[in-house]
Amino acid sequence: MLSKRNVITYAIAFVFILLLNFLLPRMMPGDPLMAIYGNEALITMTPELKASLVERFVLDEPLWQQLGAYFLALFQGELGYSYYYNAPVLSVILGRLPWTLLLVGTSLVLSTMLGIVLGIESGWRRGSRTDRTMLAGLMSLNGFPDFFLGMLLLITFGVTLRIFPLAGALTPYSGLSGLALLLDVLWHLFLPVAALTLAYLASGYLLTRNTMITVLKEPYMLTARAKGLSQRVIKYRHAGRNSMLPVVTQTGIWLGRVVTGTLFVELVFAYPGVGYLTYEALLARDYPIIQGVFLIVAVSVLLANFLIDLSYPKLDPRVSYAY
Amino acid sequence: MHIDLKKEIKESGPGKTGLTILLLMIAVALLAPLIAPYDPYQQSTASLLPPSLNHWLGMNHVGQDIWSQLVYGARTSLLVGFGVGILSTLLGTVFGVSSALVGGLYEKIIMRIVDAFIVIPMIIVIVLLSAYIRPGITTLILLLSLLSWQGGARIIRAQTLSLKERGHVAAAKSFGANHFYIAWRHIVPDLGPLLLVDFIYGVRRAIFMEAGLAFLGISDPSLVSWGMMMRDALSFSYLNVWQWWLIPTGLALSLTIIGLTFVGHAAEPVIEPRLRGAEIA
Repeated sequence: MLSKRNVITYAIAFVFILLLNFLLPRMMPGDPLMAIYGNEALITMTPELKASLVERFVLDEPLWQQLGAYFLALFQGELGYSYYYNAPVLSVILGRLPWTLLLVGTSLVLSTMLGIVLGIESGWRRGSRTDRTMLAGLMSLNGFPDFFLGMLLLITFGVTLRIFPLAGALTPYSGLSGLALLLDVLWHLFLPVAALTLAYLASGYLLTRNTMITVLKEPYMLTARAKGLSQRVIKYRHAGRNSMLPVVTQTGIWLGRVVTGTLFVELVFAYPGVGYLTYEALLARDYPIIQGVFLIVAVSVLLANFLIDLSYPKLDPRVSYAY
Repeated sequence: MHIDLKKEIKESGPGKTGLTILLLMIAVALLAPLIAPYDPYQQSTASLLPPSLNHWLGMNHVGQDIWSQLVYGARTSLLVGFGVGILSTLLGTVFGVSSALVGGLYEKIIMRIVDAFIVIPMIIVIVLLSAYIRPGITTLILLLSLLSWQGGARIIRAQTLSLKERGHVAAAKSFGANHFYIAWRHIVPDLGPLLLVDFIYGVRRAIFMEAGLAFLGISDPSLVSWGMMMRDALSFSYLNVWQWWLIPTGLALSLTIIGLTFVGHAAEPVIEPRLRGAEIA
């Protein structure tokens, strides 16, 4: 729903992210160049380069003029330069992004779909033994932090059983191609995806189960039964479909959570995505990378949320009447 | 709201389990100096020892007693958890109740800010802030609270909107009661159970975050923390030390969060009364 309300909300969020990224390094005590570019930069930088950077970001002028220069650089697609990697920030991040997208996408789809199906089944049998076991089991699973789940999987299937690789996204220097390469990628992807899927399964499940319980009390459920429809049709087409709606609204928020979860899981499996990059940057105090990751990740999550908001009235026409 | 929260939790099986776990963890945290046999910060040359009668969970890489660290770790986790829980519920109540009572432009501004913060992924913001500030425990509690009261404020506002239409509030208003008096005497007492649920989820979120940040290595290094212990243990995953170092720590953290989840879930009908009867004790 592209309401004025939504636009304002996203505008505030967007401005907050940009301002945080702009202000934080400039508010730090000491040399702003050091806070913007990190330790590494100051060692390698020549005085001429330093001067040109001060000029570029007009660091010797008042804050509001710096803001102008910052926006100008940003809109030219300039995210800064990492002296640690000796490459532009944007290209470093873009190089890592595909792995993270693969990880986040697969886990989000798997955990949402599994969560919905389990939620429908559990809500349908509410109060039964199956329901209670599933509820207690999934709520307990929900208590395991994603990185601990990752470590458990790593130690069980990687270290002890040696079925899956310990680190990375590809077998190094294997020279694989075609189907063999695809299998190698999937083999490395399996444990990180399993960790994230298990960690985020419960949210979708709990929400679907809750909605299922309320939906089952609706009069149209009685009608469906009276018409003599089969169990499967009632469960999935009548109750299940309506129980999925809240899940869709939440997907945006979950996306944010899975993205942050990836940060931790990538670290456990040394998976070369954006999360692992952030970790390396934190260790090296490579501020341009940290800022770039922050900007790209936060803006992507906002954008995804925005698109989900836009598509929601199409899924549930009742929402349009509410405005 | 005429829902008895105590009854709600006591009548649910997981609710009771959760409460038991939680009370146990609080006891461990409070009695840490009595339970822990050694100073968790005392380093020694006896590094990476397996469990023994003297050191139940062995020693870590710098020769600290892991069992003592585990016990003191509960303090850090719960301190951050409860600190953030209290502060963020307080902020949520102040902004939620006031925006519902005052209304108008004030309400609009507050609610837009709330919505904006709900869509921003919080950990990413904290990671950026921590990269620059390297927060100590007090700063961490403040930062987490400032970034996490928004969800609660939304629910509290909704509930206040319905409460303020009740007869006794109208009666108080007709006697000339101001917003503050109405909020304090009539709204907040009725919000009680809702605030408790908000608080429980706030604690849970904060414990998660603290562990996560410590695991990333951007928390206060001078405090023992479960996240930090797991991070250290993971770097020795090629040895068998994970059995008594990584697993017990991870389980302690998970158990605490599971306890909070169970209590929170049992209390959830307070927010969503339609769920009542969904739980069979």
